[in-house]
Amino acid sequence: MSAVIETGGLGKRYRRQWALTDCTLSVPAGHVVGLVGPNGAGKTTLLSLATGLLAPDAGTIEVLGGTPAAGPAQLARVGFLAQDAPVYAGLSVADHLKLGARLNPGWDAGLARDRVDRLDLDPGQKAGTLSGGQRAQLALTLAVAKHPELLLLDEPVASLDPLARREFLADLMEAVAEQELSVVLSSHLVADLERVCDYLIVLVGSRVRVAGPVEELLAAHHLLSGPRRDPATLPDGLEVISASHTDVQTTLLVRTSGPVLDPAWTVSGVGLEDLVLAYMSQGAGRRRRDSPRHLEVQK
Amino acid sequence: MIWLTWRQFRVQALTAAAALAAFAILLAATGPHLAGRYAASAITSCHGGGCQSAAITFLSQLQATSTYPVVYLLGIALILLAPAITGIFWGAPLIARELETRTFTLAWNQSITRTRWLAVKLTLTGLAAMAVTEALSLSYAWWADPIGKAIDLGGSTSLFSGGRFSSLIFATHGITPLGYAAFAFALGTTTGALIRRTVPAMAVTLAIFAAAQIAMPLGVRPHLIPPDRTIATIESSGLDYGSLTATVVPGQPGAWLISSGAINPAGQPVSTLPAACAGSFGPKVLSPGPCLESQGIRETITYEPANRYWPLQGIETGIFLALALALAGSCFWRVSRRRT
Repeated sequence: MSAVIETGGLGKRYRRQWALTDCTLSVPAGHVVGLVGPNGAGKTTLLSLATGLLAPDAGTIEVLGGTPAAGPAQLARVGFLAQDAPVYAGLSVADHLKLGARLNPGWDAGLARDRVDRLDLDPGQKAGTLSGGQRAQLALTLAVAKHPELLLLDEPVASLDPLARREFLADLMEAVAEQELSVVLSSHLVADLERVCDYLIVLVGSRVRVAGPVEELLAAHHLLSGPRRDPATLPDGLEVISASHTDVQTTLLVRTSGPVLDPAWTVSGVGLEDLVLAYMSQGAGRRRRDSPRHLEVQK
Repeated sequence: MIWLTWRQFRVQALTAAAALAAFAILLAATGPHLAGRYAASAITSCHGGGCQSAAITFLSQLQATSTYPVVYLLGIALILLAPAITGIFWGAPLIARELETRTFTLAWNQSITRTRWLAVKLTLTGLAAMAVTEALSLSYAWWADPIGKAIDLGGSTSLFSGGRFSSLIFATHGITPLGYAAFAFALGTTTGALIRRTVPAMAVTLAIFAAAQIAMPLGVRPHLIPPDRTIATIESSGLDYGSLTATVVPGQPGAWLISSGAINPAGQPVSTLPAACAGSFGPKVLSPGPCLESQGIRETITYEPANRYWPLQGIETGIFLALALALAGSCFWRVSRRRT
């Protein structure tokens, strides 16, 4: 399948500080893609570049084969939900739908109305008085009712309480199923992504640490534990992602294409969260050498 | 996009319309009476030199009333403030508030380019700002017409003294309000786009616009068209005895006197009455003119003739419109390649 986002050496600088450097990745179409990484990894910058809200300072980015925000047609193909789902506080829910209808030729008024009804949003209510969850739902309605081919969501659930989070994600999956959208969803919460994503990209310090369909990733990674030994003595074809040692025991998270046959190891499967954390701490460890930075991982 | 612009702007638009209506009602309530006083005054039947004294009488009586001086000053103040107010409250938040509340992520991800978004917003709101200011100016010009006529006839009181070239009158009449309004609005929008915070942008807008409003009459307007110079014999009636400067331009009714000063036959400036002529100016004799003339003292005058009123109006308006367009252009540049 073709790529919905294709970047090469992409970089973005804020004054003298690079928020994203030399980022090369390809996001395949037809997936719900989780873009996960610690705060400061460049997720928001990457999504802003993909929507064209920012212009790159280095490298290239193509979205659905076109330059982001190059014209009305390109804008119509991409839906975006920014972090914290900003809406116009002084405009009512109905005003927001009207805004969407006026500014999008592909606007699906029926879909928008049904969603608002189902979500129990009062059309007359000012958006500024909506709860965080309702606001996110309203912003999502605007983003999906324009019938985009690609939906980009930047930390859509970060500010929601657990219940609103669950509702939002369920609702998102419903919209995805109805409209055959490609979705890229950023988060630093692996638990949320686990429920909805079938493809995962781990971004740490602008670099793609690992990317692939969730099932394949889970099948290719194993947790090995056994008597303490040097990871360098492992057979070829095993890539150690993370290693921890006690006096007598070594635990490794490894990536391999085939089964692990060494009887010295106890092999067990690995959860998505452990997998992601292993890659994130790997990147953070590398980065900490040049610039100490706080790694925030919420659960 | 027109709908969204209106939806976001309608409260401000209705506020402006209400203010404009209130001002119009005030003018409509007092204007006909003012015109009636003028029609009933001695000005309508005066001849020659009698007209000036008739005009002075008319203006003095006006100044003694409680209403007309208030409306006269209020009108000028409103026309001077309207561009600043629209620049601050319509221009500054236009982009800054979208950036501040991050709603630009919503607006700029609809199927419409940012350039188009900004073009519609700038055009509609900018034209509204210009229309409001010019509407104030035109309705006020209608109201103040009798006062202007009396001043043109040489009438003057402590309050009603500004001819159409005077700083406050020039900037509030004709087409200059259009230029000031467009400039203030574009200035507000640009500072908002640069500072990205509404309240500081408002303050900066006010400061820069006030500076422009002061700098224009003091430093720029006298040089827009190279003024004419003349050396004239001193006429007692058009002379300020204290400083020996002229108060009118001889032979040039309605001209804008920019500067003047007395010179002796050697061409050196004279600023006080020579001792030889001191006797010609006292309680009994009030005309030092002939004495000064006999001393060879004359007056150099720098002025713009009356027929340069509209060219000057056009140039000043053009300057502000050009500045407004340049500022608007910078907004487009700023918005189309934004850095967070």
